[in-house]
Order: sequence, then C-alpha cells, then structure tokens
Amino acid sequence: MKGVDTRTAAWPTLMVFLLPALAVYAAFTAYPVFRTFYNSFFNIADLDTARYVGLDHFRALAGDSTFRASVVNTMIWSFVAPIIDVGTGLLLALCLYAGVPFARFFRVAWFTPVLLSYVVVGIMWLWIYNYDWGVVNATLRATGLGALAHSWLGDTHTALAALMVTHAWKWAGFNMVVCLAAMHSLPSEVLEAAELDNCGWAAKLFHVVIPLLRPTLLNLYILAFIGKMKVFDLVFIMTDGGPLWATETVSTYVYKRAFNWNTFDLGYPSAIAVLWFLVVIAFVALLTWLFRQKDRLEF
Amino acid sequence: MANAEPFADRATRMLRSAPLAAVLVLYTLYSALPFAWIATMSVRTTSEISANHYAWPTVWHWEKYRAAWFDSNFGTYFWNSTLVVVAAVAVVTVLGAAAAHCLARYRFRGNRLVYFILFSSIIFPPQIILISLFQVMAGYGLYNSRLGLTLVYIGLQLPLTVYLLEGFFARIPQDLFDAAKIDGYGDFEIFVRIVLPVGMPAIATTVILNFIQLWNEFLFAVVLVNDPGLSTLPIGIRRFMGDYFQDTGMIATGMMIAVLPVIVVYAFFSEKLIQGMTAGAVK
Amino acid sequence: MAVVRLDNLSKRYTGTADAAVDRVSFTVADGEFMVLLGPSGCGKSTTLRMIAGLEAISEGALWIDGRQVNTVPAKDRDIAMVFQSYALYPHMTVRDNLAFGLRRRDVAKAEIERRVALAASILGLEPLLERKPFALSGGQRQRVALGRAIVREPKVFLFDEPLSNLDAALRVATRNELVKLHRRLGVTMIYVTHDQVEAMTMGQRICVMNRGRVAQIGAPLEVYRNPADAFVARFLGSPPMNLFPATLRTDGGRALAAAGTHAIPLERWRTEALSPGREVLCGIRPEAFEIAGRTTAGTATVTGSLSAIEPLGAETLLLVDLGPGVGEVTARVRDDVDAPIGSTMALSFQPASVYLFDRTSELAIPAEGRA
Repeated sequence: MKGVDTRTAAWPTLMVFLLPALAVYAAFTAYPVFRTFYNSFFNIADLDTARYVGLDHFRALAGDSTFRASVVNTMIWSFVAPIIDVGTGLLLALCLYAGVPFARFFRVAWFTPVLLSYVVVGIMWLWIYNYDWGVVNATLRATGLGALAHSWLGDTHTALAALMVTHAWKWAGFNMVVCLAAMHSLPSEVLEAAELDNCGWAAKLFHVVIPLLRPTLLNLYILAFIGKMKVFDLVFIMTDGGPLWATETVSTYVYKRAFNWNTFDLGYPSAIAVLWFLVVIAFVALLTWLFRQKDRLEF
Repeated sequence: MANAEPFADRATRMLRSAPLAAVLVLYTLYSALPFAWIATMSVRTTSEISANHYAWPTVWHWEKYRAAWFDSNFGTYFWNSTLVVVAAVAVVTVLGAAAAHCLARYRFRGNRLVYFILFSSIIFPPQIILISLFQVMAGYGLYNSRLGLTLVYIGLQLPLTVYLLEGFFARIPQDLFDAAKIDGYGDFEIFVRIVLPVGMPAIATTVILNFIQLWNEFLFAVVLVNDPGLSTLPIGIRRFMGDYFQDTGMIATGMMIAVLPVIVVYAFFSEKLIQGMTAGAVK
Repeated sequence: MAVVRLDNLSKRYTGTADAAVDRVSFTVADGEFMVLLGPSGCGKSTTLRMIAGLEAISEGALWIDGRQVNTVPAKDRDIAMVFQSYALYPHMTVRDNLAFGLRRRDVAKAEIERRVALAASILGLEPLLERKPFALSGGQRQRVALGRAIVREPKVFLFDEPLSNLDAALRVATRNELVKLHRRLGVTMIYVTHDQVEAMTMGQRICVMNRGRVAQIGAPLEVYRNPADAFVARFLGSPPMNLFPATLRTDGGRALAAAGTHAIPLERWRTEALSPGREVLCGIRPEAFEIAGRTTAGTATVTGSLSAIEPLGAETLLLVDLGPGVGEVTARVRDDVDAPIGSTMALSFQPASVYLFDRTSELAIPAEGRA
C-alpha cells in the first residue's frame, strides 16, 4: 500500500530530506548539549584529562558571590529591559500609526540600529558614554549641567543602566516594526466603533489598542526576555562585566571562567551553563504559562 | 474660499501634532546621529578627531578605507566574514528547506517530535553548547578554522530556518503536490521544481535573517577562532580596538567597512530586510 | 479511453473506527460521464483520490482499462485530474502549466506545442498563454486547470468539485462547456460534486454516496424518480422531498398512510404488500403539490395552515403546517399566492406521487408495476 499516498513517502526519501539537517543538529547542537551536561560533573583542567567530581561544581556555585552578582544583574536586565524595549517600540509604532507623513521613512530609519552588530553598537556607545568627549557629557557640559557629567560606564551605579539604554537603542526599532504590523492587522471596525463612541485618544489607546495588541506585546516581552537572559556581546565589548562585577552577566561569567581566567577548567563553567539552561527553559515555560497565550508561542 | 477650510484644518492639526512631530524628529536623530557620527569619523584622521570630535570632515580622507583594508587587515576580516557567512547561509538554507519540506509535507512517525526538538532549540542559551563545542572542535581539528566556524554557524541557524520555512511550506496547498504527482514528478523533483520556487519569498526572508545574524555574530567567532588571519569582521574590529585603543579614526573606518554591506543591502531591500529580521515575531 | 471498475474499495484511516470509504463498488463504462454526488464528508472525494492514486487503497481492488492499479503510482495510471483549487503552479506561465506534465513524459517538443495549442484553442486560452496564474480571473484559472488535463490526453478525466470556486453565472456556463467537452473528447470522466444541479445536468449516471457508502447508482432522472432510500430522496431535489412519519393502515380495502390527522392514499402498492401498523416515512416532493380546488378528480388533499410564502417569480414556495405528527411541508406551486399567513390552505397531490420508506432502515418500499 506504500508509495501511493501523496502525504507519505518511503523512509529513504524522508531521510534524504531530513538526515543532513539532523546530522548537523546532532553534531553541533545535540551532542554539545549532552557533552556540556556531562562536563558539568567533571574537572577538566586540560582537554585530555577529566576528573569526576560529581555535584561539586553545583555546590560551589551556591557559594560563588560573583555568580550570584551575575545572576542578579541578568535578572534585572531580563525583567526590566524588555519593558523599556517593548514600551518604546509600542510608543514609536503608535506615532507612525497616527498616520504621519513619511511614515515609511521613519520606519526604515528607526529600524536601522537592529541591523548593526553588537561590536559596532558597543564601540559607538563606548564613545557616546566617553567621559572626556562623549556625546552625553559634552551635551551636559554645553547646557551648563557639567556637574552631572559622569563616567557612565565606570560607575557601579550607572553602568548597568547605561548598558540597558544601549540595548534598548538597538532593539526598539524591532519592537516598533512588530507592533506596527500588529496594529495594521487590527480590525478597522473596532477602531471605527471606538471613534463613534467618541473615545478620546488615550482612552482608545488603553481600552482598545493595547488590549487588542496584548498577545503581540506579551510575545515581544518573552522574546526580549529570552534575548536578555543570553546577553553577552554588548557587555563583553563595553564593560567586560565591570566595574566590580556591576554589569557581569551569567553569559560573560561563563565565558570568563571557561576561557579567560587562569583557573582553566571547563567543568565549572559547564555547570553554570547547565544551571542557566534549565533556568531559561523554566522561565520561558513559566512566562508562557502565566500569560496563558492561546496561540502557539511564536519566536 | 473653497481652500480655506482644509487649510485651517491642516493648520490646527499640525499645531496639535507639534509634540508628535517633535517626537518623530528627536527619535530619528537619536537613532541616526550615532551612526552619522561614526560615518564622519571614518573619513577623518585620528588627530583631526582628537581636536574636535564633532566637526564635519574638512578633508575627506577616503584613503583611510584603503589603509584599513590593506594595512589594518580589515580586507582579510571582510573576506573571512564573507566566506564563512555566505557558505553557512547557503548550506543552512538548503538543509533547512529540505528538512522543513519534509516536516511540513509528509506524515511519518516522529514528525512532530523532530519539529518540537528543533523548535525548542531556538531558546537555548548559547553557553550550553559553547564550551563543549570548543572541546569538540579542538578534538576534530576544526578549532581555529573557517570550515569549523561555518559548520557551527550552520548548526546555529538551522532551528530557526526550519521553523520559519516549515510554517510557510505547510501553507502551500496539498493540491499542488498532488497535481505534480499526477503530472509525473517524483518527491525530489517536486521539491526542486515546485516547493523551492513557490517558497522563494519565505526562503529569501530566511536568507536575509541568517545573513544579518551571522554577519554580526560574535560569541562563537571569538571562542572558536583565535588566529587573526582567520577572524571575521566583528572579532577583527574588537581586536583592532584592543591593540590601538587610541586610534579612534581607524576604528571608525573599520566599523564602517563592517556595516556598509548591510547598509547597501538595506538601501535596496529595506522592506524585505525588515520582514526578514522580524520574521517569526509577526504572524 | 477506458473502463474504470471499483470492487469493494475501502479507505480506513488509522485510529478511526469507521471507514471513510466503505466497500464502494461501481463500474464506469468507456466514455461515460459519471458523477459522484454527496454531502461533504461522504467519502466521494476520498474515492476519487483513490482512483487518482493520491490516496492509498485500504481494501478492495481498482481496475483501470483492464489493469489492476491498486499500487500503481498516480503518474502511471494515465489519468488527469482537475482540482477544486485548480492547483495551478503559481510560478509558471499558463503555457508552462499546460506543458509541465508533458515535459516529464518525454513527449516530443513539437507534439507538446501541438497539444498546448489545441487545448488553448478549445478553451480560448490563446491570449493568456504567457500570463501567470495570479493575473487570471477565477474562470480563466479554471480553464487552465481543465487545459492541463486535456493536453495529457489521458484515459480518464477526474474532476474534484471543479466549479465550486466560480460564481453562479460562470458555473452554469462552464457546466455546459464541460458537457460539450465530454461529447467532443468521448473520454471516461468521473466528476465529484456536492451540487445536485451539477449532478443532474451533467452526469450520464449518478452515484450518490452517504457516509462512505454508495446509496444509489443510476441515471439522473431514474435516481430522482425512484430514490433508493430517504437520504437520496432528501438529497436530490430542491427544495428537498417532504418526509414525515406515518403508520400504514387499510380502510375499506384501500391502503392508507396515517400521518397526524391526515390519511394519505397509497395507490402504487398492492394492498397485501403493505402490512397494517408498519411504521414508515411518507414522502411527497414539493412540486407534487398543487393548490387544491383547481385540479381534476383523482387527487388527494391535505389541509393545514399557511406559515410562510416565498415568491420566486416563476413559482411560489409555500410552507404549510399540517399539524402535530407531520409538521411543516413545502409546496412548490406555479400560481401566485397572496393568502394571509395563518390562513387555511388545502394542498392536493396525485396519490401516485407518494413515496414510502421504511422508518428504521430508511430504505424505499418499492412499488409494483411502475418504474
């Protein structure tokens, strides 16, 4: 009976389609994931010798204050920054949705930072935050607020916030485009009905537009959340976790423990990676469940 | 008189929307000026920049691009980036499209399981594979090689590619496949002659998305490639920055070299690019 | 040209108890136009897809042109199919759409061109050959889909509801074109539809399907006049046949069906064939009714209250409530009616136009002597 039904195919045919992708996946994703889990139970001082240490790494993590700092920073970043990103994106989208002239131009211009690499964005903002000649301090001094001039990235109180602003600068355009697309797909009857009900601008926004956009906004929040849980490049380039671990994230800490510190051991950072892997998955599952998205979660 | 009314209308509307106009202008400056600033610095020498960081270029030092390309190795980085990214995008598109077609079209045991595994990999934090990949690549002699980086990049972008293409391919009507079957075409011919051409818009979108993400990729490049001669652009810039921290002008030129291909593509295909970058978030 | 024979063809999907297609048997003669008719989900499309080779056959045998083709792939069955969605290749021009199936079959270039040109001229597609499907209207797409089947010069044409995406006017025109095409080509055609008008006007024979089974096969008028069961009776005819429960009785040697307060005379059956007390469904087609008082003797009459009037111009639909046990019946009469709603309305009918079905099996109780 095989071979006739057009929705089935012989296994060899299926494998020709699927196997190359599965092989790549197995070699460069699945196997490394298992290997990391495996490594987390070992002390790997060099690539050839591994010493079994059981759960020692995980126990050590509990007392690792740098790790704790990096978790706190990453959590702050993951929960707060998405609100900035999505909020800015939503406001920008609303501006364009209001039917301004040259909307297309603004949309294209505001989206540009999304396309830049973190290295470029990071160096750019290093200079913007530069104490002596950066835009921020130059502007403050020029407007007579020189007293507020600051070493933004050098101060433990402002460094993390400064990075979050940079991150938001890069990603706001992305959230704007997605919000705008969702707004344009809103049923126009609803907005017209709100118009007829003599709804004010703000009332329309809070009672009609935002509730209708809820799924999109939550989706963007989760998307941004996942992004921040992994954040590495920007920190690595701009502050390298400093000053005094004020901007250390889990990702940068793993990197340092694996490749930069003199205590060369791939086991301990593997343990962090495993723990963080489980945390990310748990949080994504939790957020999805909390938001009770009816639709399938879209990444 | 006939024109008076609309004009008055427009005037009041503009007055009322003055805050809106201010927001539009300010945000546009906010998002564009940093880039414009780097662009001006890229054609000014470091000493000129040190004198005044915000001056308009008096002499346009285009030769800095030449210097960056040849003397500061940006040509090599550019070539490495191009080689690795183009190869990885080409392969991941083919592999991803084939797998996506298989998952979208055929019923077989394990179909949804494979899909779910690939789909969930999208949220994996990269560290979970980063460290062991370093080991694995070293074991296979693929550490410090463009081929190794290319292979890793293929694996990195595969889940997203399959996810996006599966969604699109699944919407191609089954009748098209049935018609082609009756017309005498086999499974592979149908893939090449029907699925790929019909799925071109979606494939173009994923190609763009993969290209931008890999062109900008940093973490794996910094871990898996150590040799300056094999580095990609993001690593090259950072290395240059580390070695010549004070040479602001040349760093800016290097950054422009890294950004220009993206900007050129963006100038021509802005809509497609936006669509590509936001694919998956909008449905 | 070929005979298509289905022998107890069944389709079972894993995980479902009932067969989607259950032991369907019929033979389509060489050059015949056969229509598979039924409501959605009745298995008609699945049957067609099994004939096409797009769906595996679970049980039974399928013969095309004397060859059993159960496991022969679609491409080797020498059939062509027109899909409901037309399934035109969106990235190819009309010309390429027509030629695509021939190129694979090593037909010589000149021959491909000849056939494409011929099909294009039959269907009036010449000015459209270089266009892509998105630039065509619904009717034009439909013709391209047809053309793609014609150029193949297959033994059997299969149609899967090819007209259902067209608007009403175009559907009538295309219906006639298809009939002409069939006459011109003289090829075996199997046509699936849920539209009884299409079935009646196009089919040389109709196969009515219900719940995966064949309910009745026959010439359109024969099926219409002698429905094999209550389902076919309801399905063919518009508005559908009035069916209401009744109990058989004899009254002075004459057979009657007692329904509510009404007694329906039964003339087509021999009295001894109808056992008194048998529970039946009584059927009268809307067009069998006339407004009482204007017709000749020999008719029977039922009286009820008028509940709705739908004037259609050439005729009028009346909804008449015949009271408890019967409910509303529809009458299709030629007169204009302007009686007030709620007024008493007497409907007459020829006793020979009454149908009887068994209440439990819903099978028709055959009348004697008449076809």
